[in-house]
Amino acid sequence: MIAQVWKNQQLTIKTIEHLSMVFVALAIIIVIGVAIGIFLYNKKYLSNIVLNILNIIETIPELVLLVILMPFFGIGYKPTMIASILYSILPVARNTYVGLIQVDKQYLESARAMGLAEREILWKIRIPLALPMIAAGIRIAIVFVMGVITLGGLIAAGGLGGPIQTGIHLYDRDIILVTGLWIGILAVLLDSIGSFIEKVLNRKYGYD
Amino acid sequence: MINYDIILNAVVGHLFLAYSALLISIIIAIPLAVLSLFNRYLASVLLVFANLIQAIPSFAVVAIVVPLLGIGFKPAIFAIILRIILPLFKNTFTGLKDVDFVYIDSARGIGLSQLEIIRYIRFPHAFPAIFAGIKFSAIIANSVAILTSLIGAGGLGELIFEGLTNFNIPKVLTGAIPAVIIAVLLDVSFSLIEKRISLKY
Repeated sequence: MIAQVWKNQQLTIKTIEHLSMVFVALAIIIVIGVAIGIFLYNKKYLSNIVLNILNIIETIPELVLLVILMPFFGIGYKPTMIASILYSILPVARNTYVGLIQVDKQYLESARAMGLAEREILWKIRIPLALPMIAAGIRIAIVFVMGVITLGGLIAAGGLGGPIQTGIHLYDRDIILVTGLWIGILAVLLDSIGSFIEKVLNRKYGYD
Repeated sequence: MINYDIILNAVVGHLFLAYSALLISIIIAIPLAVLSLFNRYLASVLLVFANLIQAIPSFAVVAIVVPLLGIGFKPAIFAIILRIILPLFKNTFTGLKDVDFVYIDSARGIGLSQLEIIRYIRFPHAFPAIFAGIKFSAIIANSVAILTSLIGAGGLGELIFEGLTNFNIPKVLTGAIPAVIIAVLLDVSFSLIEKRISLKY
């Protein structure tokens, strides 16, 4: 049953498609999210407004965000990527910002005493010490991106959401079970990789 | 033309679906968290599950419910509960558990029983955490309730999916825009209540 569904639904290709979309989206999210975090650190008075706007985007149901983008970007790959990016920037940006401002005073004081400029303090002290927080944000983003890209199957974006939709329409229990469980396993795997990286960074740069 | 009756009906159906699932989850999760205070084994099993399930996309959860329970309103409620009950449990449990030992000790000192400690010490202290869990779950329930229209639960999602099949963008938007308004109102009102609660406790 598994082998048959796997072959009929071309799950190997679909999985590669799915994961490549996840990784591309994640790369973009990390770059934009960290950049927004650093920007907000430099312009703290903007932080409330920007984080609130991102927060509102995150309360919108994933599917609704996808379909609202359709009038502007059509269907398929583009709106799915944009929705997954919009949806997942908040955890990365917020965690970067919080990680940067939360650095312990003792480190900052000794850096200043050694004569480091504010710029150097940002790059050599604050960012390394914020890495565990940033990694925690990225881990949340991984879960969100997985969710949105799976939904992308509904608007023809490719990936593993497509076979699930086929399964529900045909009321085919085998397709649904195999693909659904496979997505579940992939999601848990990606999440555990994220949690592993978070732990390593915590050991290296964490406070305790 | 926009048919307001249809939209209103869909909104009511959507809210009923999301909130009955939320209510059932709260009714199950809170006693479960209290039980876990007494049983360390149950607590650790449920926490591991909670972390695993949170990683799984909602769409996969909704889909897997179909072979198990079929389609319609009840499977939809079940899917939403499946998605939100463990985060609810996790927040309630950590809230109840992380009460400062000083309070528990002094409560014991003045002779309160285990149950009285839970009722008068742990619960009031856990309120902010429990409420944060409810807010988070309400937002997820709102989001999954749109998705469950795919398995015949009706509501706002149905307008979206009907619009998607004919590529009828205005129809899609009649489902999508009320959903956005509901989500934003939800977030704002819950944040206000949250502020009140954290001021009080």
